[in-house]
Amino acid sequence: MTRWPEPALVSKLEDPSLNTVDMTVNIGPQHPATHGVFRMVLTIDGEMVVDCEPYIGYLHRGLEKLSENNDYRQAMGYWDRTDYLAGMACEAAYCYAVEKISGVTVPERAEYIRVIMAELSRINSHFMFLGAFGADVGSFGTSFVYAWRERERIYDFFEEVAGDRMFPTYIKIGGVAMDLPDNFESRVRWLLGSINQGLEDLDGLLTGNEIFVERCRDLAPMTAERAIALGITGPVLRATGIPWDIRKAEPYGVYDRLKFDIPVGRQGDIFDRFFVRLSEMYQSTRIIEQCLDQMPGGLVLNPDLPKTLRIDNAEAYFRYEGTKGEYGVYAMARGGNKPYRMKLRSPSFCNLSALREMVVGTYVADAIIILGSLDIVLGEVDK
Amino acid sequence: MTQEQTLPYPVGQQVPNASLGAMIQRLLPKVPVEIGETKTDLDVTVAPEHLFALVQGLRDAKDLKFDFLRNITGVDLVESMALKYAFYSFTHGHALQVTVPTEAGHPHVPSLVSLYPAADWHEREAHEMFGFVFDGHPNLKNLLLEEDLHIHPLLKAHPLQKADIKQGIEDSSAGFTF
Repeated sequence: MTRWPEPALVSKLEDPSLNTVDMTVNIGPQHPATHGVFRMVLTIDGEMVVDCEPYIGYLHRGLEKLSENNDYRQAMGYWDRTDYLAGMACEAAYCYAVEKISGVTVPERAEYIRVIMAELSRINSHFMFLGAFGADVGSFGTSFVYAWRERERIYDFFEEVAGDRMFPTYIKIGGVAMDLPDNFESRVRWLLGSINQGLEDLDGLLTGNEIFVERCRDLAPMTAERAIALGITGPVLRATGIPWDIRKAEPYGVYDRLKFDIPVGRQGDIFDRFFVRLSEMYQSTRIIEQCLDQMPGGLVLNPDLPKTLRIDNAEAYFRYEGTKGEYGVYAMARGGNKPYRMKLRSPSFCNLSALREMVVGTYVADAIIILGSLDIVLGEVDK
Repeated sequence: MTQEQTLPYPVGQQVPNASLGAMIQRLLPKVPVEIGETKTDLDVTVAPEHLFALVQGLRDAKDLKFDFLRNITGVDLVESMALKYAFYSFTHGHALQVTVPTEAGHPHVPSLVSLYPAADWHEREAHEMFGFVFDGHPNLKNLLLEEDLHIHPLLKAHPLQKADIKQGIEDSSAGFTF
């Protein structure tokens, strides 16, 4: 039996004395593989990526400038448009930061509601990842449709609670805007059952698929030390084997009362990143179940809030475990009803800055998967 | 149910802020610093010329080991400017903020890219938004704004609307119109 390509021909192609010419390939900003308006310029030698220059900023809306020029409560509408797959979580992070500098307290029931909403957002965002990543690797629409079924149900629940699906503006400084609907407990339990079913379907479709697993395993591995040096957080860091999660390491809200595990990977490759996210979703359903059991009654919004919130000299750096990693909000007040400075340390931005190091030395087709495995949201990268 | 997961790092801050500040002054005696506190972290103020020595000490001293650069924030205080660095130690669980006060304009600050590769994009962002110049940065060009746009939108003097971006901020006569 003859083998193709013949070994003699391959060795001739790999001859280092052969002159090859580097070629520049521009991917994006309008390209489905870049998950938004992200552009990267690849320099390739044959199929091998020699250099990669990322360009961002196509979705820059001046979030920080707008926040400085708006009332503390008005700015909320800009913050849920950062990570637009998890609007509730971004609002919560912003509110926690303002509460840190103002000293406003939050009723216990509202803390539990925030946790439920943040974990549902996390599940929602990770479903988006599973669907889109499956499509990146080559399952076309199938994984997308499975993921969309559950996302629609979560969005329907958000609509029932807040009146809006993606940008709810539901979480307020000092609590949440209104109490949950009467039937919410049975509604959420039904939703959790549905999510678990969806997860099992996707698990079978992707983790049970040998082509998918072989495509992702051992691709772009990363050590924990390097990931920390590059500022990577979230599931991509946990895939390298460090169970670091701000919900455990520096707990906020009521997370110190809830029991959950932090899934970790072994070598930080693409498959580990995928599997960490999949496992995290099961943990999120666990957290929501505990919240439903523990949730007390009472008020959902601090009744002593002033009509206009004015904050004297104060600064804080609040970190929140967003769906992509450490969602940090630096807040500085110098009197008045507007923040003096608001800065978002967005996890997608920091994870994306490590892209160049990950893709150099891989193939062009791998570069697309590596970008997909970072799970960036351009609204958050570009602010 | 599974048993409780054991974590390889300390949960929450182990050392109170006051003793962490004393520890920094004891371990890095050559660097003149001022110790303060924000609502969340210990705050260490240092002049730009001592920043690199301080951060190198923070990263390498065995009892400090700040191995993670979280964030760099520029702040425009109108008469002066400041940079806020947020650090975290995976080994000890401490968190720290380093404040670097600078003069207004285009102040020169040493780049931390050689110590923390994570500083790369944060410094480029502070450069384009405020005009800080990071000495030693390998690729200090615009990141979020257009490459040939030399304005600094997050300065307080930059108007929110009606900015004449072609002429740059110096020539713009429009004030705050919000």
